[in-house]
Amino acid sequence: MDLSLNEDQRQVLDFIDSLARPFAGVPLHDVSLALESADLDAQLLENGFLDVMAVEELGPVTAALVVEKLARLPFAVEAAASSFVRPLIDAELPRPLCLVEEGRVTGPVRFLRPGATIVVVGPSGVRSFTADDSMIAPAQEDTLYAYPVAFLTALPDRMATHEADPAQVLRAWRVAIAAEMAGLLGAALAATVTYVSERKQFGRPLATFQAMRHRLAEDQVMTNSVYWLALRAAGTGDPGDAALALLHAQDAAKRVCYDYHQFLGGMGMTLEHPLHLWTYRLKLLTAELGGRGEQGLAAATALWG
Amino acid sequence: MQFEWTAEQDAFRHKIRDFLHANLPDDWEKFSEHGPASPALTAFAREFCVKLAEAGILFPHWPVEMGGEGLGPWEQQILSEEMWIAGEPRGGQYMNVNWIGPTLEKYGSAEQKARYLEPITRGESLWCQGFSEPDAGSDLASLRTRATLTDGNYVINGQKIWTSYAGLADTCFLLTRTSDDRKKGITIILVPMDTPGITVRQIPSLIGEGDIHEVFFDDVTVPETARFGAEGQAWEIVAYSLRNERLGIPRFTLARAALDRGVAMLQGQGRFTREHVRIEAARCAALCEAAGTANYAVVQKRVDGLAIGAESSSARYATVMAERAVCEFVVEFLPEALAGASPYLKMHHQRGIVAGVAAGAAEIQLNIIASDVLELPREPR
Repeated sequence: MDLSLNEDQRQVLDFIDSLARPFAGVPLHDVSLALESADLDAQLLENGFLDVMAVEELGPVTAALVVEKLARLPFAVEAAASSFVRPLIDAELPRPLCLVEEGRVTGPVRFLRPGATIVVVGPSGVRSFTADDSMIAPAQEDTLYAYPVAFLTALPDRMATHEADPAQVLRAWRVAIAAEMAGLLGAALAATVTYVSERKQFGRPLATFQAMRHRLAEDQVMTNSVYWLALRAAGTGDPGDAALALLHAQDAAKRVCYDYHQFLGGMGMTLEHPLHLWTYRLKLLTAELGGRGEQGLAAATALWG
Repeated sequence: MQFEWTAEQDAFRHKIRDFLHANLPDDWEKFSEHGPASPALTAFAREFCVKLAEAGILFPHWPVEMGGEGLGPWEQQILSEEMWIAGEPRGGQYMNVNWIGPTLEKYGSAEQKARYLEPITRGESLWCQGFSEPDAGSDLASLRTRATLTDGNYVINGQKIWTSYAGLADTCFLLTRTSDDRKKGITIILVPMDTPGITVRQIPSLIGEGDIHEVFFDDVTVPETARFGAEGQAWEIVAYSLRNERLGIPRFTLARAALDRGVAMLQGQGRFTREHVRIEAARCAALCEAAGTANYAVVQKRVDGLAIGAESSSARYATVMAERAVCEFVVEFLPEALAGASPYLKMHHQRGIVAGVAAGAAEIQLNIIASDVLELPREPR
């Protein structure tokens, strides 16, 4: 047992901090529902930050740390699937990677665009194809989610099949999303803490009212737990740990998304404050892989048969 | 970062399990229903801890200069986990090795160390913690039990309440007021419980016999040398010892063991098939494991030689959430467990419901997290 960051991990996180500094804030006057940056994406790729899992001295825990860190940015980056799932299937698959469950392809798909690789995971195995215009519903201008999303209108007749074990891909998928949610939870908490510490009502900061302090403290406890469970699931590679991590992340997200918009009051309804860039990513991820109930069932089977 | 135990740590855990297997009676589970503070378990612990001492696993985590093996925080954690899952056969003596011994070593006089450390290391002493008072629970600093220095003796008058182990303890780690300066007016006195003027009255409780008491001090007189640390130093010493105490009980491990036991009972009766039961069980497991990793992150700070701060309150609150969830799971899906069908689950329930109250109320932990982890501006006083 050793829960300290090692020197390699510290270095990777420091590198990402400096690389991501220009992307740490929301561009002035930008009131987008979702933010993306091709420049940030290219720099991450170029510096190998989405490929750390395969590097022996770095491995899956470092990959989880990277995904967690990147999720804290206001910009949505397709890091989770590329970091955790791509190495299990084919490290050369074109990005972005979009993960969909077999038999469940009607939901909004994150980062779906022409040229993206769609990975279909299910009882038939692990299959993939490259998306083109003919199979994508027009870009959803009216989405509330802080991810670029689109819908698949059809699956192609022929897909590439991969040798990867669908159960392993599913496990990695859960870890990846749990790590992403850990970062989103951390950033949303930090943004809310800053706001309620500065915003004054009744002559004092909102954060001095115990009604808010106790709920924020509970939110911190859950956020901290999600972080550790995600890292642990990455480290052990255990399917039960992965399901528990995502279950806990989805439980936490459900609770804090309500709390944080509530605490921001009117400001939480606007796009002037960037809170939605984290919470409306979290909201979509609460639906990932069937939501909390399905993670619960998967965890129960893994733990107790 | 490494989430697996080393081979040495696994071996250490197995050594403890083997010892427990060899030294706990066959009817132990039923027996442990008596609760850690009961006369029966206290008497058992007096023999059990002597054997633990002989086997070298009473305080292996203490530094070598204190007679330990200097094994470190992870081994202390493993030891605590195995004992707590087994129903804490050390009874109240767990406090001795977790925080009383180390606190004596750090703050005690030579005379106090000589007098009190050796019985602890032999597994023969039992302490109680005279902290809470009828009007000083969460607001501990408002305590009023007065100690007045007269002719080289402290004369103590006042009342403590909710004191665990008081009925059978040899010594009380007592907080007294020596001046009206709120936190700086509190002083620790080590009081032998057979000193004339002490009256102990047991309060019937939900959590088992012998656990909760009122203790009255009427002109209890002890020499000045019974003072622990300097006058007014209690708050600093207690903060030090409570940090150990908060980490001390790995309650999340018992919660997880109880959950597994409950699931096994349901499976045995073909009742672990419905989806909502399985999902709720998984939620409980997630909360137990969440509390575990949060606690381990705090242990890691100790391993790294860093000061433990407010994050221990966060880990503690995570534990309260896990305990609560498992207690509620058992009541909802195995109501018979608290009515005689499972001594183990009843034992867990009785210990689990204490989690949010003992060693500082859960809401106080939330205050600490708000101020010191989130660094929110403080509430006006």
